[in-house]
Amino acid sequence: MTTTRRPSGPADPTSPAGSAGLSTVADAGSPGADGARLSGRSLLRVGPVSLLIRRRAVLVAAVLTVLLLLAVVLSLSLGTPYVAPADVLRALSGAGTPYDLVVFDLRLPRVVLAAVAGAAFGVAGTLIQSVARNPLASPDVIGITQGAGLAATVALTSGMAAVLVAPTALVGGLLAAVLLFALGARHGLAAQRFVLAGVAVAFGFRALTEVVMLTADPIDGLRAQIWLIGTLAGKGWTEAAWIAGTLLVLLPVLAWAGWALNSTALDDDTARGVGLRPVARRIGLAGTGVLVAAMVTAQVGAVDFVALVAPQVARRLVRAERPPLVCAALLGALLLVLADLAGRRLFAPTQLPAGVLTAAIGGPYLIFLLLRGRRRSS
Amino acid sequence: MLSTRDLVAGYDERTVLDGLDLDLPTDAFTVIVGPNACGKSTLLRTMARLLTPRRGTVLLDGTAIRDLPTREVARRLGVLPQSPLVPEGVTVADLVGRGRQPYQRWWRQWSSEDGAAVDQAMALADVTDLADRPVDSLSGGQRQRVWIAMTLAQDTDALLLDEPTTFLDLAHQVEVLDLLHRLRSERGRTVVAVLHDLNQAARYADHLVAMRAGAVVAAGPPREILTADLVRDVFGLACVVVPCPVTGAPLVVPAYTGGNAPAVKDPDSSTASVPDARPSTGDAANPLAGSHPSKGL
Repeated sequence: MTTTRRPSGPADPTSPAGSAGLSTVADAGSPGADGARLSGRSLLRVGPVSLLIRRRAVLVAAVLTVLLLLAVVLSLSLGTPYVAPADVLRALSGAGTPYDLVVFDLRLPRVVLAAVAGAAFGVAGTLIQSVARNPLASPDVIGITQGAGLAATVALTSGMAAVLVAPTALVGGLLAAVLLFALGARHGLAAQRFVLAGVAVAFGFRALTEVVMLTADPIDGLRAQIWLIGTLAGKGWTEAAWIAGTLLVLLPVLAWAGWALNSTALDDDTARGVGLRPVARRIGLAGTGVLVAAMVTAQVGAVDFVALVAPQVARRLVRAERPPLVCAALLGALLLVLADLAGRRLFAPTQLPAGVLTAAIGGPYLIFLLLRGRRRSS
Repeated sequence: MLSTRDLVAGYDERTVLDGLDLDLPTDAFTVIVGPNACGKSTLLRTMARLLTPRRGTVLLDGTAIRDLPTREVARRLGVLPQSPLVPEGVTVADLVGRGRQPYQRWWRQWSSEDGAAVDQAMALADVTDLADRPVDSLSGGQRQRVWIAMTLAQDTDALLLDEPTTFLDLAHQVEVLDLLHRLRSERGRTVVAVLHDLNQAARYADHLVAMRAGAVVAAGPPREILTADLVRDVFGLACVVVPCPVTGAPLVVPAYTGGNAPAVKDPDSSTASVPDARPSTGDAANPLAGSHPSKGL
């Protein structure tokens, strides 16, 4: 074994304090630790479980969590009436303040929904982009958004009960997913075919949506339009519970996905050579991604620029070769909380849908990162 | 240990292998040669279960490979495809670590055995010094050694490689072949490779398999089977075979054609003969002789 050229790792931030003896954390970068030479990673051991964790991902996740909490407090604080952050914290701690109504009943549901939906978009985008092998793939590129949009438009323009709009949209999104898989299934859901099938599905559903919209009553059409852009106004606990429930049920699958994403960069022959089943893996990852995308889009509409931007920005922050699942979720949550806050406050009392703002915040940042990346690589 | 029985395989409409029976020796370096599109890569990919045969069986230690879980196969049989896609931004150690996939689960992502196997594989393939470099920044020869290290990390008894020396310069070709030779002689691994260069095949192989049009024409030690007749049958190339001045292995030297007569004859044509392949002024007994100024060298 050669001498180490790598400084031994810093004290690991992932070590759960107070559980000494239960877990050991080894610096996977130094040859002393199990001979592993995976730079930038640490091995987290809890009993029979051993997880490789990027140290930089832990750092980024910690920073994003702090920023997310700040954004949540800020979002609970700003508005009419203004509630000082200290009062927000006091109200949240259950001290009982005059602001309880504003904080708990008016603002908290919407902020929580923004965070949960943003996280779900981040997760869906990461999974879809990894299967599509394309950083531009997102739920609205592969037709999930348009499927949900068509169903929601039909529901909104046919006088269906308001509670039925989200379930109908979910059915529409899943229908688009089924169509996508049917069209993309040949050649084992290969990246290019997957994207092309999705684009075809997206165009088909968008055309149908426009037909429905043009033939509908103008007022209903406008409601459908707002739904399509995506807004959190008037939504709260119910929607958040549906999305969070979906993520919770899928948690074991997501734990697998976080690991499976590592090998999506290998071509199919190489993947089979090391004992993977690349087609089954793609179907699993894409299926999970479109399921989350359909659910979250059905609840909050097409705020899905988050799904496009969050994974790519998170990847660059972590400096990994593929989008990191947890960091993308946290970044998605942060983005959507900020976008909703900006939408509420920038032109108050006029409210902008969050969908407009996610594009306004995320777009320039992605461009900035692209330009910076190019300069560094040239 | 690796055998095929009545193997029929191909792509879409085209049948490449039609009823192939083959036994590859254990603990040997087997090289498969043959002209372009003869089915040698198809054979390798089918044996490595990268391609599902239409009919017939690939046997790994007597068991049909399709009946074995793919993870288990990956612990017994390593594969290096022809031109694997280099993942962007992945470091050498990271890529070599992917070879440990068949031993890992999402809840057991790394063990001390994984670390030891990766270290050993990188040392064997001489890429330890490159451990932290991104694979996409390496030269072709270095890259190929990294890929081989990845398959070595799989810790398998057998290793299948599809044209591992293509796109490498001569020095790097020799480097890769030396590595494969060491794996066989020092580690007792069974190595099977598809190669283009007959002379390298003759020099390194313990066992040579010559294929043409989806069938095995001859198989055995190169010194026994590699003759001018075989080269003409398989490649349709007129040549002489002389002992290599360095190793004594058969050395294939194509006949001189003067640049105006086709060296390649249709091997199916019964009229193909060596003297026809060169200018008429030549000496029929020696296909090397011709109007070339350097004749007699």
